[in-house]
Amino acid sequence: MFTQLSTTADNFSKASSMVFRIGTDAHLYDDPDDVSISPLLDSKFDSEKCEALKRLLALIAQGLDVSNYFPQVVKNVASQSLEVKKLVYLYLLHYAERQRDLGDQNPLVRAWALRTMAGIRLHVISPLVLVAVRKCARDPSVYVRKCAANALPKLHDLRLEENAAAIIEIIEILLNDNSPGVVGAAAAAFAFVCPNDLPVIGRNYKRLCEILPDVEEWGQIILIGILLRYVIARHGLAKESIMASLLPNIFSNEKTGSESDTGYLEIKKTYEIGLQEPELVAMVSRSYLAGPDKHLLHLNNSDVISSDYISSRFTSSKTDDNVKILLQCTLPLLWSRNSAVVLAAAGVHWIMAPMEEISKIVKPLLFLLRSSDASKYVVLCNIQVFAKVMPSLFAANIEDFFISSSDAYQVKALKLEILSSIATDASISVIFQEFQDYVRDPDRRFAADTVAAIGVCAKRNPQVANTCVEGLLALISPKSINSTSGSMDDEAVVLIQALTSIKDIITQDPLSHENAIIYLIRNLDAIKVPVARAMIVWIVGEYNSIGNIIPKMVSIILRFLARGFPSESIETKYQILNAAVKVLLNSKEEDFDTAKSILNYVFELAKFDFNYDVRDRARVLRKLLSCYFSSSGLEEKPDNNEIWLLLAEHIFGEKVKPSTEMVNNRFYLPGSLSQIVFHAAPGYEPLPEPCSLTESDMVKGLEEPAQAEANDSDVDSGSLNEEGSYYSEDSVTTSTRTDSESAASESDNNNTDSLINLSDVGKPQEETNDLGELMSKGDLESWLDDNDNPGPSQNVAERVPSARISIGDIKESAVSPPLVSVDTFFENCSSDSMSKIFLTNEDSESLDQGSSLESQKDVPVFAPMEEISILEPGQTIKRVIHVHFHHHLLPLKLILWCNDKKHPVKLRPDIGFFLKPLMMDLDAFSQKESQLPGMFEYTRRCSFTDHLAELGSDGKDGDVSPTKDSFLIICQCLASRMLSNANLHLVSVNMPVDANLNDASGLCLRFSGEILSNSIPCLVSVTLDGKCFEPLNASVKINCEETVFGLNLLNRIVNFLAEPQLTT
Amino acid sequence: MLQCIFLLSDSGEVMLEKQLTGHRVDRSICAWFWEQSISQPDSFKVLPVIASPTHYLFQIVREGITFLACTQVEMPPLMGIEFLCRVADVLSDYLGGLNEDVIKDNFVIVYELLDEMIDNGFPLTTEPNILRDMIAPPNIVSKMLSVVTGNTSNVSDTLPGATSSCVPWRTTQLKHANNDVYVNLVEEMDTIINRHAPCDGVLVKCEIFGVVEVNSHLSGIPDLTLSFANPSILNDVQFHPCVRFRPWESEQILSFVPPDGLFKLMSYRVKKLKNTPIYVKPQMSSESGTCRLSVMVGIRNDPGKAVDSLAVQFQLPHGVSSANLTANHGTVDILADKTCSWSIGRIPKDKTPQMSGTLVLEEGMEQLNVKPTFQVDFKIMGVALSGLKINKLDLKNLPTPAHKGFRAQTEAGQYEVRS
Repeated sequence: MFTQLSTTADNFSKASSMVFRIGTDAHLYDDPDDVSISPLLDSKFDSEKCEALKRLLALIAQGLDVSNYFPQVVKNVASQSLEVKKLVYLYLLHYAERQRDLGDQNPLVRAWALRTMAGIRLHVISPLVLVAVRKCARDPSVYVRKCAANALPKLHDLRLEENAAAIIEIIEILLNDNSPGVVGAAAAAFAFVCPNDLPVIGRNYKRLCEILPDVEEWGQIILIGILLRYVIARHGLAKESIMASLLPNIFSNEKTGSESDTGYLEIKKTYEIGLQEPELVAMVSRSYLAGPDKHLLHLNNSDVISSDYISSRFTSSKTDDNVKILLQCTLPLLWSRNSAVVLAAAGVHWIMAPMEEISKIVKPLLFLLRSSDASKYVVLCNIQVFAKVMPSLFAANIEDFFISSSDAYQVKALKLEILSSIATDASISVIFQEFQDYVRDPDRRFAADTVAAIGVCAKRNPQVANTCVEGLLALISPKSINSTSGSMDDEAVVLIQALTSIKDIITQDPLSHENAIIYLIRNLDAIKVPVARAMIVWIVGEYNSIGNIIPKMVSIILRFLARGFPSESIETKYQILNAAVKVLLNSKEEDFDTAKSILNYVFELAKFDFNYDVRDRARVLRKLLSCYFSSSGLEEKPDNNEIWLLLAEHIFGEKVKPSTEMVNNRFYLPGSLSQIVFHAAPGYEPLPEPCSLTESDMVKGLEEPAQAEANDSDVDSGSLNEEGSYYSEDSVTTSTRTDSESAASESDNNNTDSLINLSDVGKPQEETNDLGELMSKGDLESWLDDNDNPGPSQNVAERVPSARISIGDIKESAVSPPLVSVDTFFENCSSDSMSKIFLTNEDSESLDQGSSLESQKDVPVFAPMEEISILEPGQTIKRVIHVHFHHHLLPLKLILWCNDKKHPVKLRPDIGFFLKPLMMDLDAFSQKESQLPGMFEYTRRCSFTDHLAELGSDGKDGDVSPTKDSFLIICQCLASRMLSNANLHLVSVNMPVDANLNDASGLCLRFSGEILSNSIPCLVSVTLDGKCFEPLNASVKINCEETVFGLNLLNRIVNFLAEPQLTT
Repeated sequence: MLQCIFLLSDSGEVMLEKQLTGHRVDRSICAWFWEQSISQPDSFKVLPVIASPTHYLFQIVREGITFLACTQVEMPPLMGIEFLCRVADVLSDYLGGLNEDVIKDNFVIVYELLDEMIDNGFPLTTEPNILRDMIAPPNIVSKMLSVVTGNTSNVSDTLPGATSSCVPWRTTQLKHANNDVYVNLVEEMDTIINRHAPCDGVLVKCEIFGVVEVNSHLSGIPDLTLSFANPSILNDVQFHPCVRFRPWESEQILSFVPPDGLFKLMSYRVKKLKNTPIYVKPQMSSESGTCRLSVMVGIRNDPGKAVDSLAVQFQLPHGVSSANLTANHGTVDILADKTCSWSIGRIPKDKTPQMSGTLVLEEGMEQLNVKPTFQVDFKIMGVALSGLKINKLDLKNLPTPAHKGFRAQTEAGQYEVRS
């Protein structure tokens, strides 16, 4: 009966409330599980998913465990709908911290858990991941620590600024690890996260060098690069290395004194060692430092880098220990089976080792050519640069670059190029023998390349030029041409290339190759390829007056060519025209007429050519040489046409200079991707500025992390619960219990009220105005600092009314559990009275998304407050307001009505008051603590100085006053600091038992509380360390299941402990 | 860091895609890659580092499978290539060879392996012995089990002890009933022989590329030292990470704690050898549209053991329309891609193997002026042609005495004879 009645009543009230709640999600909250949620989650409609998620949230809000839906929820993260996404995040955030796997016994499970967590890549859970990583960075298992290092780049990838410092801190811890495997992974993280934070490396440089050979191979690759960068940034380049070409005194030994002597010695040595082309070497080394693009910009003004500047940036690889150790430790890596390691180590030696010792890298590099086809190509690309800069390095190993028929075309081409740059007088004959074989290679493109390489060799070593030309001429002999009529196109490539090479060689020294030219001319008839013919005609025209025989032959050849003119190809026609002009301009008196008539004949033929370009060209030339073809037809050259003549001679008369070799002048660091693709890949960085890392940089970097290091060691011991060895808990605790409790209660009396900052963001200076006044009332109080909107109409209250607000005990009973009652004091600081002051909630329609999603809308956020009708100047009135805070980061937006004007104010809660004291004794505390290990435990350190003022005032003469125990004072200070800032219960105080009264190490205070919203217990232990009369190191440890909350609380506690006490 | 790994079949189909970082790489990059490699078959297919419009690609090709890795930022290219090589090695080891079907059939294992081998684009565990401890290779028993019971896991539930020890390549608690260790010298001979003179070839280059393979089944943590009688002939060496550098630097002794099972302890190179075990004499003479070819093969310097699986292979040059070749021993095959292979096997006692015949040239070609290169294949068991001799192998720190075994073999590597 009664139940029926009550249900009817229930229904009735529900129905009545329904009217007001139409359009809200209230029904979901009331009956979250009246329908089956699973099918909704799997639904293809966003609206249904949304509903299901809201139901889940409602269940969460009501304290039910719905973690069994985890898989179904997670998959919805991919949804397009923003609302679904947001709801999924909310759900994830709630359950992500249930990742109990992180505390698993099995290291493999821990590692997987960490990898999975780090792989989720949601901003919302990044604080959790960070904690997990921090925890795992101290895991006993090497594998887990390695995974922790690997997780750091993932965290960094989320680009959360607030995590950056913490990540770097963890990297440094891991770089310090004893296990080489971890160091390798940490190095990779370093290179990814903060490659330029070199002071971190500096602190561990020697150790890292020594551990390098034991690091696993992939880590070695990265670590080698980091160490090289550090050495250059810290100690500069080595003056014995190839980079020394930057030293100005090597190439300009004009300076006096010892320096120039060494400079001179260097230059001599340079040539003994066999460096070629100092400009090239300087360019390479400058490219390494500045990056080629930047370097090319400055190419023209060569004295960009002043000499003083440069020479101060060099160290010696023979005397500097730091350089020596790096070279020593990378030496064994040249034996690594991993080609990338070998190349990286070789790169270090290439840049830093003395020039005479670079040869150590040769054999290992050549060995790499046997590893795999793909790496062969990359290694050859690098060797190519080395060989260009220092040909002597590989001169003794020519047969390693001999081509094998199974090589890919690119590999063959690279080998050819290397061969032609390392060829010496001694080896050139062997190389030519090889080249002869290559010319007969079935791959004609490669054969053509070989022919080009022969030309390059001949240019480099002029004494073999004749042999080369002979060999090349044999290639274009009629016999070899005719035999290949089958595959004309392929052969044409070789033929053209052969002629180009010959042409290049002849250009170098035309006189000595007269016979070659004659040979070419004789074979002109046999050569059918148009480009090749054109080239020979060009040679004829260009060198028509060289030697004794050619000038005699020229007119015959021209006549022959002129007769065949119509049947020639276009490019040959051009060259015939040009050649005829050149001959005419060069012709002596006796041949002049012949030349002229030939040219005239050619012009006539060209006039009726099919090709307009040929016609035009002939016309232009004819115009140019009109003096010869003037209507009078006389041989006398008229004066007024001299200008034409000069022009013509200028155009055609100038002899071609030997072309300089095209150098690919883009150089990147050895072993880099950019060197292979010939452009700076994103993320490519040249070597750092030498000596850019100064002593002060190192020191500056040192301070904080050194502290962090110290912290770490302590943290370890703390988490291992080694306290027992320092003090016995029982005896002393009891004896001091009363004191500490009195202290606590005392502070409780003072500080029951806790503080909430009600402040407007814009007006910090007004806070300072009120500061003194405020502080005198005790550090518990906070102030309300609401600003006037400085509108033009408002001239009354420029001086902002400031109100003090303190929170009384948190009363759950008052209206509804989550509400907090806040004692608000309104004080009028202005000279005018104010009326109708009251606080209201911000307009409900502008409620932000976040709170509407909480599905707790039926709980009012703010209970209306009794209006203050009038507030006289100087008067203070107390009101109690009831508010509900959603989150410590979400300020509650309120409106302050005053004189019928609106002033927006924000009530910013302190995280300390999302707690309420939880009474428990020491045993319960330690039991609870042991239940919350692993990732539910977090520690941070800070310094604590509050007690100094207290102790200082008591014991000005140096002694502690006998009546007061210094430990007690410290405890009091600490407890009052803690309790005034967070709503906690003081569980116990442990005093150290130590003969030394001055040593406060081991002092430990324990607090307990529970989270207001979900009653999850939260345990805080503060352990002190240090001397009584000095700033103490406090280590704060929190055990709490609610990780996000616990972490934020931890940060808050550390902050308020560390901030100095404001003295009155 | 690597962002993604693709496995492509020989028809360009993407068989597998493993995204490594948060920056997803779209599959379309593979389509681009395949299009390019089809349009430029000779240059693109063999280029290990390719700059595509959006990514840098590293590729290696193993048995028709293309392994493609993508990155967008600067990283050592050899690192990418070397890693892909390791992946290919491990996969082929696990799956017993590489081909399209076997990868598709075992894609779960491939994913599991890739997941252990690389994390966030950075190589994690690449040591095959440890991987075996983490993920069991597929075998008959597990396949049968999965058929019978319906579900089995090939993922180990404990972390291999090796990962946490100071010798990360070795599991800590190993027990073998029979302790034995075998050392095997496997050498490959690379030569280039030129034939300018009519009678005999000129040895342009002859060197040995050798590997010291160790197959160890030893209990506990044994400490081994291996020394050579003549280490001075070694031109250069590469070591497995287990080898300690110091003893090698000072005394040229290999001191190491071996991984379990088969591994390459060291590779070495011996240069400038003077002799080859066999001779190959090709002769070509061409006139009026045909080319007479004869190749003779025989023993030059008897290595003391039988020369086995002898084969000669060469590419018919462009311009040859057909070939008619016969041999007095062995079989001659001309494949579709104009590769002519003559497999001889073991050299008979009574006669010198010879292949001869004519090559018919294309219309209008008088004679052949390109010369094919002959690739020779052989295998000699029981001898290391470099002359490297193992002096002794000491085993320390062993509970029971172990059996030691030594073997050697030489194969032809890039053994080329130019005609």
